[in-house]
Amino acid sequence: MFETLKVFLRNRKALIGLIIVLLYVAVAVFGPLILNLDPMQRVGRPHQGPSPEEWFGTTRMGRDVFAQVIYGTRTSLAVGFFAGTIIVLIGTCLGIAAGYFGGWIDEVITFFTNVVLVIPQLPLLLVIAAFMGQTSPVVIAIIIGLTSWAWGARVTRSQTLTLRNREYILASELIGERPTRMIFVELLPNLLSIIGFNFIGSVTYTIITQATLEFLGLGNPMSVSWGTMLYHAQNTSAITIGAWWEVLVPALAVAGIGVGLSLLNFGVDEISNPRLRTLGTVAAAVRAQKKLDQQRLAETNA
Amino acid sequence: MSFVIRRIAFYLVAFVVAATINFILPRLMPGNPIDVLFAQQATTLPAEARQALIETFGFASGPLHLQFLDYMKSVFTGDLGYSIRFYPQTVNQVLAYAFPWTLLLAGTATLLAFCVGSIIGTYAAWRRGGLLDAVATPTSLALQATPAVVIALTALFIFGVALRWLPTGYAFNPSLDPGWTWAFISSVFIHGLMPVFSLMIVFVGGYLVTMRNNMIGQLGEDHVTMGLAKGLTDKRVQFNYAARNALLPSVTSLGLTLGAILGGSLVTEVVFNYPGLGQTLYLGIVTRDYPLIQGQLLIMTFATLLANLAVDLLYVFLDPRLRRA
Repeated sequence: MFETLKVFLRNRKALIGLIIVLLYVAVAVFGPLILNLDPMQRVGRPHQGPSPEEWFGTTRMGRDVFAQVIYGTRTSLAVGFFAGTIIVLIGTCLGIAAGYFGGWIDEVITFFTNVVLVIPQLPLLLVIAAFMGQTSPVVIAIIIGLTSWAWGARVTRSQTLTLRNREYILASELIGERPTRMIFVELLPNLLSIIGFNFIGSVTYTIITQATLEFLGLGNPMSVSWGTMLYHAQNTSAITIGAWWEVLVPALAVAGIGVGLSLLNFGVDEISNPRLRTLGTVAAAVRAQKKLDQQRLAETNA
Repeated sequence: MSFVIRRIAFYLVAFVVAATINFILPRLMPGNPIDVLFAQQATTLPAEARQALIETFGFASGPLHLQFLDYMKSVFTGDLGYSIRFYPQTVNQVLAYAFPWTLLLAGTATLLAFCVGSIIGTYAAWRRGGLLDAVATPTSLALQATPAVVIALTALFIFGVALRWLPTGYAFNPSLDPGWTWAFISSVFIHGLMPVFSLMIVFVGGYLVTMRNNMIGQLGEDHVTMGLAKGLTDKRVQFNYAARNALLPSVTSLGLTLGAILGGSLVTEVVFNYPGLGQTLYLGIVTRDYPLIQGQLLIMTFATLLANLAVDLLYVFLDPRLRRA
């Protein structure tokens, strides 16, 4: 476990990604506690620029952008992790079932997965959200979770199929292990990296999609999140009248967590597939190799 | 040939599923679905338009399965009902006006993103660890994870508001008459620059990383080593041996990402006030124009499926193995 962590932290991309994500999590958990300020409260005149009192300025309604973005972090991350969990649960169950059982079960699941995959996501979400009325963050998380599992199911299925043909699986089958044990003890641990990959990707996707849905006016305008902040900014033409802080702050917040999560994901990908590495890691590997060579040379000389 | 027919059958089913979602949703809502559908505009909508909408959505016929057949008949005959926001226009008329703009925007952006991404990806993989790879790959990862809203709003602020280089809205100067005149076409071009490029930037990263990773996979294959051993030029090995094969998965992802691109286009249009499907839809959402919102799901699904079919046909051309089957 410790070894894996060390390998993980040696990858610069993964490390930076992890730091960014942890920072966001810390803000989401502790930010509102430390701040202790109602984000919906009027604190100043409308559209005031950043100042020592309001660090990130105020909105059209005179609300503190800093307080809003801190509370918004909590909403957005919670929605992201919640929907990510739903997506991973559905995707993994369907993927393993299709890959392990094969036959008609596989046929049905694969067909269904492919259908969901070709129907455009955002328009579908828009239709569902529109019928739900002004959707709260929890409802948004649920509808994103229930419609976005197809990709994960497909990836998990193909990985399960490759594992299925390994000799150790055949051996366990010949011993007469029950399907539940096969799935949970033999297959699942070997699928963990795919599941993790799927989870991080889904969280990124959910956060982006939630912001988009709310920006388009399908969220509850009374809830505080990055998406509703962008929605209010767009509705009050914040950009055209020069109130850039009202747009830039939530925009950077969304972009930042997106970059952090995808760096983390790419780092994980690089660790499991070393051929994908770019300059920094390649150079580091070359350096490590050289050092090792010199050490060996010194040992043989001595 | 049977490959193409199988795909067409599959897309037909996918389309029916999308239409079924449209059929079920209003019936799942609490209360009378007809009231739900037309609640907002019950007073402004004339009685005959309301009746026409009820018939289009199949509410007029008795049991559920008859309603379903009736609705499917409407969908497959291309009757999507009246728009509530834009009454007396039908949903078809509203979408038909908006669709060319979205096609222009999303089509150009996709083409640019795919070409630029694939070419840079090819070079980044060829000189893996080189300067281009070290800069382009992490940058495209960051771009890929940035939502279209953010990029569009940033572009709007920098080039539209702060620098005032480019117009901040509309597809062309409203004082011009649409036509094949130089003034009109250049106006469309200038107004399209920001939406097209901000949409392209969102998607270029995905194609770049896909191409780069496929290329790296290809470069380790025997046929590439063989090509180099034969003494072929680097260019020939890079493009004819490696890139040609590496392009296949990219082309598949081109079809599948089209849905995402249409989604990105929706948002970009709202930000730039571009008169495509997204902007129309946004106006529809504000007034809960359900027939319009449902119509856009169908037309976007249809467009995505057509694009996937085109990709399948392209695949037959690119992958000789499928031609024999």
